[in-house]
Amino acid sequence: MLITYLLLTLIAVFGHFEDFLGTTLLSRPLVLGPLVGLVLGDVNQGVMIGATLELIFIGNIKVGAAIPPDIITGGVLGTAFAIMSHKGPAIALALAVPISILSEMVISGLFVFRAVFNKQFNQYAQEGNYKGIQRLHILSGLLKPLLMGIIIFLALELGSTAIRSFLDLIPAWVQSGLQVAGNMLPALGFALLMNLMFNKRVAPYFFLGFMLAAYLKLPIIAIGGLGVIIALIVTQQTPKPVAANNDDFDFEDAPAETQPIEPQHQLSKGTLRKLFFRSLTLEANFNFETWQNTGFAFAIIPVLKKLYHNKQDMAAALRRHLQLFNTSPYGSTLIIGITAAMEEQNARDQDFDQESISSVKLGLMGPLAGVFDSLFWGTFKVIAAGVGTSLAIKGNVLGPLLFLLIFNVPHLLLRYNLTFIGYNAGTKFLQNLSKSNVMDKLTSGAAILGLMVVGAMPATLMNIKTPLHIGSSSSVVSVQSILDQIVPAMIPLGLTFLVYYFVKRQVKTTWLLLGLLALGFAGSIINLFV
Amino acid sequence: MIKLTRIDDRLVHGQVAMTWTPALNADCLIVANDKAANDDFMRMTLGLAKPASAKLLIKSLADAIIFLKDQRSQNFKILILVNSVKDAAALATEVSEIQSINFGGIRTKEGARSIAKAIALTDDDVAVIKTMLAKGLELEVRQVPTDKKVMIETLI
Repeated sequence: MLITYLLLTLIAVFGHFEDFLGTTLLSRPLVLGPLVGLVLGDVNQGVMIGATLELIFIGNIKVGAAIPPDIITGGVLGTAFAIMSHKGPAIALALAVPISILSEMVISGLFVFRAVFNKQFNQYAQEGNYKGIQRLHILSGLLKPLLMGIIIFLALELGSTAIRSFLDLIPAWVQSGLQVAGNMLPALGFALLMNLMFNKRVAPYFFLGFMLAAYLKLPIIAIGGLGVIIALIVTQQTPKPVAANNDDFDFEDAPAETQPIEPQHQLSKGTLRKLFFRSLTLEANFNFETWQNTGFAFAIIPVLKKLYHNKQDMAAALRRHLQLFNTSPYGSTLIIGITAAMEEQNARDQDFDQESISSVKLGLMGPLAGVFDSLFWGTFKVIAAGVGTSLAIKGNVLGPLLFLLIFNVPHLLLRYNLTFIGYNAGTKFLQNLSKSNVMDKLTSGAAILGLMVVGAMPATLMNIKTPLHIGSSSSVVSVQSILDQIVPAMIPLGLTFLVYYFVKRQVKTTWLLLGLLALGFAGSIINLFV
Repeated sequence: MIKLTRIDDRLVHGQVAMTWTPALNADCLIVANDKAANDDFMRMTLGLAKPASAKLLIKSLADAIIFLKDQRSQNFKILILVNSVKDAAALATEVSEIQSINFGGIRTKEGARSIAKAIALTDDDVAVIKTMLAKGLELEVRQVPTDKKVMIETLI
């Protein structure tokens, strides 16, 4: 048993290592679930439980410094206990939700605690000691996987007997209630996703996605493909925005020309490639005081090493890059590349305004976080999870694989190339972007595509039916078959909109979760839902 | 109609574009900031971050006040972004419609102390906050709309 527990702990530690691995979604339940299953000798269960948890946490995203529940710890422990006790996805869910909320508190505490290292980081910067900064960035980053690993191991070692005997006490009716409630909970995830994307202008695409899935039974991957085509057609036909009208409510979007930054490129391709690889640890030492600052410094150090050969210059540069920083990891290399070009110019030009490096960095981090978080969390993640869970829920191992590929192929390609675009074109690239309407096309196209896939989700991924019958014993008609003839998947769609209604009214997620649990239980007991 | 007045020193970014704008159904973001209004680079980057569903106006504090006092601004569902407590107080003094201010993010600086995860205040800030509280304004801390409102008077 000890070895099993150690292996399970390693899986969770691997999940927490995502902060070193480019926030590539390796930590999602859909990916870790199958690994847990593998260790416990039931990959199939692992895949299915992973998919169930993924659906429930599908609307769970990390933006800015807002930390969502820790689904790594909750997911691994929940999945492991459910498989070990042979109780199925419903039990995994019942354990994963509270565990991940508790564990998030521990992690928030760690993010506060990490700020104490900032003094040491600054000390290293004063000394021009970039090696010290690199070392401490990694060591402090390791704290999270290590700490969570210890907690998870102790939970398994000390808690599993108790939890398993507790699970054995759960009566059958509670378990079937949990089952129904678990099938309902994805409505919450879908509603949270809709909250990110749904508005009147793009609403038709949601229903298009729903109808393709409900009536034509198209798989989500096909709906994603159609979504891409429709998004391309629609954005190509969008007329150019009408020029600002003449009243004083000027909606100016196009800013005037700014001084372009013209670097003379001498940094080698190899150095720039290092920036990309090092950017993958951007979030490793995330803390609540200076956020991703040491991650940024860690990424830019190869450039500083090439440019600054005396201690004084190096110290100044290190201090500059230990300033607060926070952006979307997915677009971070663009800022890192631009910064590299500016540092190069600074090293060459005595009169260069060093302040401008910081102001460009700080100016870009917020806006670009908006762009890349929306694109990746709002579109790529949604499609990847839609396709991945729709396969995995049937036990297909391709699900987690496709999930990772659909998200990370565009992610890593873009992230890699943005390093070079940032370095070579600098802020000119952004100026061209803002002058053209490419960004508008991109955001509206992404919204169409994402929403079509979300629309398909209630029909494909939620399994809620009613066992009710009407009529006398001689001619019984099932209510479900009547519903299916009118609108298939009417119950999942209705539930999703019901939850969305409450989300819009700012009802707290925890209440909605408890509400759905209660509804599922009640519905199961009075035999309204199965 | 002003849906929210938010202090956030990153102005428009992920939390604003992805959570606040849809949650408030805002169709007009106003960045009220003297530096941004006169800085082409900032105007450009803020323009990039704009969510597709809303207009973005970048105005100096004085122009923002004129805009908000104009009847025509009532036609929009407005999310106002400022980057300092001082600017928020200046807006609230001039624009009576602002009865509540959201503290979203103020990074730490020399002489500031952290009062919440993403909020650090200087003594000057605290003094301004006390004046605003005395006027009966609601001052609440939330990073994203689904956070629980924490009243600032319980933190300082």
